[in-house]
Amino acid sequence: MNELEIVELLLQKDEKGMSELLIHYGPLMRYIIAPILPNAQDREDCLSECAMQVWKKIEKFDSRRGGWSAWLTAITRNHALNFRRNTTVHSSAEDISSELPSPELSPEEQIIRQERQDAVRRALDRLSYKDRTLFYRKYYYMQPSAQIASEMGMTERAVEGKLYRIKIKLRKTLGGEGYE
Amino acid sequence: MSDHQWENMSDKDFEAMLENTVSQLPPDDIVAEVTPWKKSINRVLVGMALNTITFNFLCLNYILPAIGTILLLLGFRTLRRENRWFGACFVLAIIRAAHLFPSLILNTTIIHSTVNASDISYALTVASFLLLFIEYICLWRGFIAAQRKAGVPPHAGGVAALLVWYAIMCLLALIQYSGLIIAGIMIVGYIFIIRSLYKLSKELDEAGYAITTAPVKITDRCIVISLAAILLIGCVCGYVFGGSYPMEWSALGPDEHDEVEDIKAHLIDLGFPEYVLNDLSAEDIAACDGALQVVVDVTDEPVNDGRIETTQGGVGDYRQIVQNTVYDVKELRITGVGVQVPGDRERWIIFHHFLWTTDPGFYGTESIQLWPVYRDISEGWHSAGDVTGRVLYDDGEETFVADYYSLGARNFTSDTIFWGEQSRTDVFAEFSMPHNGQNHRGYVAYPVDEVEDGYIISSWFNYTHQRSWLQYPAMTATEKRMANSFDDRAFKTVQDALQFYPTDEGVEMIS
Repeated sequence: MNELEIVELLLQKDEKGMSELLIHYGPLMRYIIAPILPNAQDREDCLSECAMQVWKKIEKFDSRRGGWSAWLTAITRNHALNFRRNTTVHSSAEDISSELPSPELSPEEQIIRQERQDAVRRALDRLSYKDRTLFYRKYYYMQPSAQIASEMGMTERAVEGKLYRIKIKLRKTLGGEGYE
Repeated sequence: MSDHQWENMSDKDFEAMLENTVSQLPPDDIVAEVTPWKKSINRVLVGMALNTITFNFLCLNYILPAIGTILLLLGFRTLRRENRWFGACFVLAIIRAAHLFPSLILNTTIIHSTVNASDISYALTVASFLLLFIEYICLWRGFIAAQRKAGVPPHAGGVAALLVWYAIMCLLALIQYSGLIIAGIMIVGYIFIIRSLYKLSKELDEAGYAITTAPVKITDRCIVISLAAILLIGCVCGYVFGGSYPMEWSALGPDEHDEVEDIKAHLIDLGFPEYVLNDLSAEDIAACDGALQVVVDVTDEPVNDGRIETTQGGVGDYRQIVQNTVYDVKELRITGVGVQVPGDRERWIIFHHFLWTTDPGFYGTESIQLWPVYRDISEGWHSAGDVTGRVLYDDGEETFVADYYSLGARNFTSDTIFWGEQSRTDVFAEFSMPHNGQNHRGYVAYPVDEVEDGYIISSWFNYTHQRSWLQYPAMTATEKRMANSFDDRAFKTVQDALQFYPTDEGVEMIS
């Protein structure tokens, strides 16, 4: 079953869509959750909740904004971060929404956040494809250096060195753009 | 946000800011890239494709499997910890690389054909094909195991199809099938399999997220650079140290001809060229004792490609443009000498002498293919002894001499467009010249006895010179000659014949 069929089933609120989602995209969701939640039980709980989030928010999926895998990745990643925050802090701290921009932020915060995102995105566009991948692995997927190293065929030291250089480059780029 | 704010952030704050600001939808290309096995599985699939099909041109039959083997090695290295099947694939990839890369280096030496013709080498080649087959089986099982682990319905039809395809190809190779119909079907089948593997690669992405990759101690780049460096250094060493025959040169003693001075003097009187006579061994000169007459034929031959000279002639409609190849230098002097010596029947000793009058620029392997008189005119002449000869060169005041690396009859099969496959036996002399010194030269000689009167003497001398080291796999001049191939950048053959008609009244030169 391909992604279009699964999305269609989910949109129709057909429970088969949910099981197909877990069969075909469960490994992807687990892969995204794993670096964020070290506890195996938390991962399984989070996976179920993520699947429920997808079920609830499937109408918001807009293929013009990005691919299915990207949307699913964003939902899973952000929900896993919320899950971690909720389980570790046990407080009602601000959640990271599964959808952006966050509805909980004040208009002023939203503007500042949007400005930051635009600035960082522009700075990222100046990086090479390989550097951007490395950046996303570290700061979006929150993967540990060891995982990045083994999956990218690099040593941990090389990954850390490269990330350090990327940070310097980003600082330089962001600092030089003169955002007011 | 001001520059000041970015700059004043601590590292920790900056990192936290980065994490918080990239929570939008990630770019599709990044999402597609961030997977534990896409890179490795693509390497494996491309490696399989490159290892399976063979293109016998532009050295692609060596380059593509080498790249394919490296890709398989790198791909399986990442996947080796995932399951035992991928682990087995990695071990097999190492074994196959350990066989392939030394073979590629060995191909730069002239001993490769001897080594490759051995039973051990044949067994290793067969084993390598079998290992590739086993590797495909392990890969197939590995895919299934990875899919099961991820909870994805297992399927790897593309690999299974490739297994069947490869088995049929091995079978066709075993029966030496050379037809076009099945070959065409197999090529079409291969294209479909590659397409299927490409689709499989996409489908496997689902299961790939559950893969556990192995930690990296040595980077992929380091492995590729190391293998390329080993290959490069090995090939350079192969060309430098394995591109010529080991010759046993020794200084020529000044008293070598002391006991045959009288015979030499007599031969010179009969017209035997002194520069040829001085190069003969004492035994070969002694064989000419009592010589009755001497026949000499000298030719200068080019071993360069010459230059094209265009001339125009005629006027109007009869205007002609003629292109001729002009040789400004003719480097090789070939001297054919026939010496009639006393005997019950008419007996001649035939000498073919060569002398490099100009340095050809490169010496690798050289070969002389001799077509003796009795080869084509067996009704008139037969062999009266072995073929003898030696090679020489001068270095300063000193002359160095060596026996041929090999000299004698060789059986071989040549395949030509006009005559098809032919098995023949010819006399070959194989040797290498040193890069130092001057006047590189040598000769071959053999005696013939008359069987029946009235036949000409026609003795052919085919000299094949290696002009460049740039050839892969390395071939000797003899192998080139035996393959009956045309001249190319690496080899050029020069032909000369000593032809005359001996009569009671004297000798009538034919060429």
